[in-house]
Amino acid sequence: MRSPRSRFEFACRVAAFALLGWLLGTSVFPSTGRRVERATEATVAARLAAWTRTAPNVALHGDFATTPETWAIDWLAALGHGGHAVSWSGSPPAVAMSAEALSDPSGGTRIDVAAPAGARVLLRDDASVIDSVHVARFGASVLGPVVVGPIVATTSGQRFSVAPPDSVHTRSIVVIGAAGWEGKFIVSALEERGWPVSARFSVAPNVDVAQGGAALSLDTSRVAAVIAIDTTIARYGDAIARFVHSGGGLVLAGPAGLTASVMPLAPGALGARLRPAVQPKDTIGLGSTGFYPVSALRNDGVVLERRSSGIAVAARRVGAGRVIEIGYDDSWRWRMAGAAGSERAHREWWSRVVGSVAYVGEAAASGAALRDESAPLARLVDRLGPARAVADAGGGSSWITTRLLMTLIMLLLLAEWASRRLRGLR
Amino acid sequence: MKSFLSAEFVFATAQYESGDWDSAPLVPANIIDTIARYTEIVVAPTGAIVPLGDERMLRYPFLYLTGHLPVRFNEAERRNVKRFVDRGGLLFIDDHNHDVDGTFHKTATEEITRTVGPLTELPNDHPLYSAFFKFDGPPTTSHELNGWGDNLVHKHLLAVQRNGRIGVLYSSKDYSSEWGYHPDSKRFQSVDNTRFAVNIVVYALTA
Repeated sequence: MRSPRSRFEFACRVAAFALLGWLLGTSVFPSTGRRVERATEATVAARLAAWTRTAPNVALHGDFATTPETWAIDWLAALGHGGHAVSWSGSPPAVAMSAEALSDPSGGTRIDVAAPAGARVLLRDDASVIDSVHVARFGASVLGPVVVGPIVATTSGQRFSVAPPDSVHTRSIVVIGAAGWEGKFIVSALEERGWPVSARFSVAPNVDVAQGGAALSLDTSRVAAVIAIDTTIARYGDAIARFVHSGGGLVLAGPAGLTASVMPLAPGALGARLRPAVQPKDTIGLGSTGFYPVSALRNDGVVLERRSSGIAVAARRVGAGRVIEIGYDDSWRWRMAGAAGSERAHREWWSRVVGSVAYVGEAAASGAALRDESAPLARLVDRLGPARAVADAGGGSSWITTRLLMTLIMLLLLAEWASRRLRGLR
Repeated sequence: MKSFLSAEFVFATAQYESGDWDSAPLVPANIIDTIARYTEIVVAPTGAIVPLGDERMLRYPFLYLTGHLPVRFNEAERRNVKRFVDRGGLLFIDDHNHDVDGTFHKTATEEITRTVGPLTELPNDHPLYSAFFKFDGPPTTSHELNGWGDNLVHKHLLAVQRNGRIGVLYSSKDYSSEWGYHPDSKRFQSVDNTRFAVNIVVYALTA
């Protein structure tokens, strides 16, 4: 007659082999307990109504080469909340798009597109094709003069869209400094480009020449940006900092960044002025004029232009506003004595500088409807979770069960072996 | 606190191939003295002489041109003067002959018309006349009625404008004679007669 101990050992052995046999059986003949319904991006829209009427134990799975439309994703998410196991797999292209109204007197919209490297993206609006862009590495940008209706992009069969931004109300630009060629030609360039400009040029002690407007009031309801061309900005004290913190733009040109009152706003500290590299007979370009290098860039400062001898242009955000520091203090030489077209280039360059920091009203800055369609893959992951295989549609419980059973088998065999060893058997 | 201001202003005299461009050699030093006396504009202590036929004339956005004799630009001078005005420079021309039918006036106005466009009368309420000192129009000169010229008091200056700004300012008032003296002699005047030059320079630098 068997002792209780040997009965225990026999029971452990039988249980371990039974579990092992069951596991082998289920792997050779898988269970068909939960039915899986499948659809692709082309058929999912037609299947959704029928899937809504199926029992919750039916798993729903999408095989997506491109991301389905937003409403279909939302519907699938609702089915998931209703008890269905909803999953998807595939590799839709990771794309996204944004559109921003340019702060520029001639209007315009900048469209930024992110897509896989090498993708060609076709952009169009309600009127016609806007452009097609080739994405080199991370993305591409397109400047469009006028946009009619939503902007729709397509690449590799993937469609995504963004609403047109509101137009920007162009506010005036204030130029502050001592009378000199740099200030005069900055004002000329901006006015020729269509910017409303107010200037305050110091001519003599307590004598300023005012241009374009009466009293100078630095608030974002009227002024989009301030350009300081030298240290005379010190007389405006804290008003400049308040203006920037409330969203206004500040351009610190030439030695203006040396002013104590605006140093805390600047992207970096200025070094000693570097002499121009131009020879007497050279044609003057912006890069060959002298400049004050940004020698100690703050952690949040961004380099926008670097020359071999130092950083020429840098920027940073301060509060709700933006500050750009331009080392150049002789850009007028580029306009006057540059090559053919330098006048236009000087004008466009200064307009871009100002536009990059100019205050844009809340309404224009905020996005619009259709935002959810601007990044379809991100929305798909957000609503349905990451891609996963159909076998895991049940939520991964079978994997956990298998691991538990294997552990149990090992414990049973270990207990049986330990019991035998304690009895002195091999 | 140490101030860092814009690059200095250089009073540049235009040298042209025809005529007597250097007929008023004392004017630059006198005007430089005036600018330094009344303003805090950083001004170069000496003027420059700039050949109009050399592209480097574009490095001087303010040019003073005067003379008694006919003015005929060569091709290079004409090309550079046009670029100078189109890009925003201010060319101040003063008829040292102050004779409305004189050779300087006839040839200079013809040449300017041919190069950058016709000269028109500048209204006497133009911002030029209030850029620093207040004037009701171009100040008269003692040389307008001295019997050597046309014996007319010219009520207006002439100008060619670009984008609302003066590109060429033309005077028949003979400021070149009026301002052609040593700066130290200002102390003998009850009213400084070079004050209008401050307006011209301030206008050039700020408008």
